[in-house]
Amino acid sequence: MPFEIIKETTESKIHEVPLGTGEVKVGGENALPFHFWEGEIPNRPLIAVEVYDNNPEDWSPVVLEPLKDVKSDPALWAKKAQDEWGADLIALKLKSTDPKGENGPADEAAKTAKAVVDAVSIPVIIYGSEDAEKDGEVMKAVASATEGKNAVLGPALEDNYKTIGAAALGYKQTVAAKTPIDVNLAKQLNILLSNLGVDIGSILIDPTTGALGYGLEYSYSVMERLKLAALRQNDGMTQMPLIGDVGIEAWKAKEAKAPAAEQPQWGDESKRAVLWEILTAVALLMAGADIVIMRHPDAIKTVRKVIDTLLS
Amino acid sequence: MEKVRVCFYPENRCIEVNKGENLLRAAMEADVHINASCGGEGYCGKCRVIVEKGDVQQKLQTKLTEEEIKQGYVLACSSTLESDAEVRVPIESQIGDRRVLERKPPIPLKGYTLSAKDWAERLPQWELNPPTTKFHLILEKPTLQDNLSDAERIKRALSRIADLKDAVVDYPMLQVLPSLLRASSFDVTITVLDRGQEIRAVRIEKGDTTLRQAAIAVDVGTTTISVQLIDLQTGEVTAEASDYNGQISYGEDIISRIIYSTRATGLAKLQSAAVNTIWNLIQQLVEKSNIEFCSITHVCISGNTTMVHLLLGLDPRYIRVDPYIPVAQVFPWIKASNIGIRIASGVYMRVTPCVASYVGGDIVSGVLASGMFNSDKMTLYIDIGTNGEMALGNKDWMVTCSCSAGPAFEGAGVKHGMRATRGAIEQVRINEVTLEPMIITVGNKRPIGICGSGLIDTLAELFLTGIIDEKGKIRLELSTPRVKEGESGGEYILAWANETGTGRDVVITDGDIDNLMRAKAAIYAGMQVLLEEVKMDIDDIEEILIAGAFGRYLEIDKAIIIGLLPDVDTEKIKFVGNGSLLGSYLQALSKNFIKEADRIAKMMTYIELSTNPHFMEQYVSALFLPHTNIEEFPTVKQRITKVRKIVQSGISEGDVT
Repeated sequence: MPFEIIKETTESKIHEVPLGTGEVKVGGENALPFHFWEGEIPNRPLIAVEVYDNNPEDWSPVVLEPLKDVKSDPALWAKKAQDEWGADLIALKLKSTDPKGENGPADEAAKTAKAVVDAVSIPVIIYGSEDAEKDGEVMKAVASATEGKNAVLGPALEDNYKTIGAAALGYKQTVAAKTPIDVNLAKQLNILLSNLGVDIGSILIDPTTGALGYGLEYSYSVMERLKLAALRQNDGMTQMPLIGDVGIEAWKAKEAKAPAAEQPQWGDESKRAVLWEILTAVALLMAGADIVIMRHPDAIKTVRKVIDTLLS
Repeated sequence: MEKVRVCFYPENRCIEVNKGENLLRAAMEADVHINASCGGEGYCGKCRVIVEKGDVQQKLQTKLTEEEIKQGYVLACSSTLESDAEVRVPIESQIGDRRVLERKPPIPLKGYTLSAKDWAERLPQWELNPPTTKFHLILEKPTLQDNLSDAERIKRALSRIADLKDAVVDYPMLQVLPSLLRASSFDVTITVLDRGQEIRAVRIEKGDTTLRQAAIAVDVGTTTISVQLIDLQTGEVTAEASDYNGQISYGEDIISRIIYSTRATGLAKLQSAAVNTIWNLIQQLVEKSNIEFCSITHVCISGNTTMVHLLLGLDPRYIRVDPYIPVAQVFPWIKASNIGIRIASGVYMRVTPCVASYVGGDIVSGVLASGMFNSDKMTLYIDIGTNGEMALGNKDWMVTCSCSAGPAFEGAGVKHGMRATRGAIEQVRINEVTLEPMIITVGNKRPIGICGSGLIDTLAELFLTGIIDEKGKIRLELSTPRVKEGESGGEYILAWANETGTGRDVVITDGDIDNLMRAKAAIYAGMQVLLEEVKMDIDDIEEILIAGAFGRYLEIDKAIIIGLLPDVDTEKIKFVGNGSLLGSYLQALSKNFIKEADRIAKMMTYIELSTNPHFMEQYVSALFLPHTNIEEFPTVKQRITKVRKIVQSGISEGDVT
């Protein structure tokens, strides 16, 4: 008897969220990740390339090497990501505004954001420094500076969803809502945002990422459960595309950073670190991430190949 | 050791203590009540007193404003007496009067309180058949031919007139037997206790006293102790009284009590505090109803497992630590005098059996009193207290659990929280357009704080009017002077300083709301997990019975709006009142109910929520107003939409259909 694959189909689907002003859309699927036999997956998972505005110096040399000519200029960096690495999106992180660091002014950051958005033709995700209070201020300026570009602003947290939500609403941008690895908290923030007037079709969920070895299983589980609630239980407040913030987390891992000289048994760090990012990203794609934010060009290329293979 | 003398005003009570003694302890010694919710750890800031004279060293000042420090305020719990002193206890640090415990409960907007008629139907086992019986015996006087001992003579008479074989004669009775028998010419009344396995003659009185027989029913709550005096001739309650559990001064919740009990003489102190409260109440009842102490022949007591341990002087420490083991669940009849309740000779007491460490005899009693154990209907019984205990089932089976809700609904952990005594805000309405409140206080006095029912009202009204969001956060951007940024987050002012009995604004804060949200979420989540365990849905529940001292004042629709109770047909929800006390009463009246209580305790299956992985998930889901899954609260959804419409259009409620 030939093997017949069991099909579980559903009437529910993930919102198809337009990003930027062009053709790019995310979500829209009515099947679990890569379950083509069960439904439609109209948009492929997207890779957003991470760009920092504070000329990062403390990153691993493995990832700084390919960035050395662009890392001090976010617009150039974004352009290179688009043109050379095949980025689907840019994820600009306005770390310069961090009150615990440089504490740069919001309007400077907004200028950077505008420059990046103008430099590329692909959509842009713009995150602040993840300081709830400061981000409110920064995102207001960013929303206004990038008006008409339909950027993704975030992360909107429980403590600043009102300011970020209102800014996105006022300047017709999209919102990324971030909650700490919990299905209910993610739902709650979406309800709060939609009560504020934000269209549920312009919200992305960032359920918080843990890298391989650092809570990846929690992120995997929460993404999987969000997707199951959205598709199997038709839960309207979970039917948003998911973001996996891979780069920052994967490159934080000691196993990604430690040089081979210190940890000879772990092998060549240039391969090891890139693998760490790839593994984290691929796992989250399997769990249901619709967007993965990534850092190293080699990791990006490999993950793109994985997606292509799974899609074919 | 050098002594100092401290006087407390307005009580005008003075006491000598060792120099360096803690001020709160000195007040306790002097029997002066100062509100102290945190067991003296210094974080609740409620025990503020004014030092009018003398040297009092203050260690912690974090909870006092500069202005207050200038005025001489100190926190009693973190202050020591270094010289003779005079201390004034300000109005808000006093206990308030005790009228709460006698006042008529306000009629709730919706909901139904069970009445005598219901009980006749719910409890067919009803029969006046108390565990103690008085027998009037006119004994044959002994002769050389009939030379039985005094005790055997009584036993023979009991077996002849009441068919009571092999009664045991209690030792203290033996001691008085020869003289009393002869002084009364062998005309005596014997009180016999039927403890189930054994018949025991416990008391002898001269002549015929059979017409004078009474019993005592007690509910030992973590916060309140209630006592009833029952006429065993009629089965009616002659008098009833309540008071705060004297243990409160040693900590608000059972965990802090257990911790206190592990100190050197902690257990003895806690035991005597509860015993004193009970004894004072019994004295009040006896005085009020003009009976004699010796009419009382037995006592029935129900309480949660920890309260029962503390009352009996049993070490409760292992209740607190994994794997949470109590000393006993079933307790023998013991002499009331063994724990210091000295009513009369031969008064025994029964303690309702417990189910587990955190499901006690109060629930068993409540299940008994509610008639749930007789019912075909699928019933959910919820006792809303510091520990939200609940039982689900019917006459065939029952599961039970408890979830630590915390004492927020009883006013602890809330900035201006208080018990329902004079000056407590107990009802609140907020105008959806002006956002101005309307408040009613207990005794219609100037507000001092907010009690449980007032807190539920406030939370529901704040949410309906959109002053707080679904997370319970106060919207600071609203343009009303009632909303402001306080020391720690938002505040809504229920009463301005010049309107209150304390001279300070009475407010509810973001932090208070957090605690209330946690309490309601724990109870709702406990209920959900209990239902999940038996694969049932809230719609399968045919009757929801609410018990608890606070349940009497609860407005059901408000409790549903905040998601404390499920959004079901309000017809299904009924109040039991103080289920624990009712169950004690029933057991005092009838051996049938004692047997039933024992059976109920055995038939209950305990579910431990602390190890249940779904509890946390349900809990987080319930930490939202009314709930993350609004679909579970359809009428609340409608009501919010309606009120929001009014808010937007700025017109009054009557105009919107």
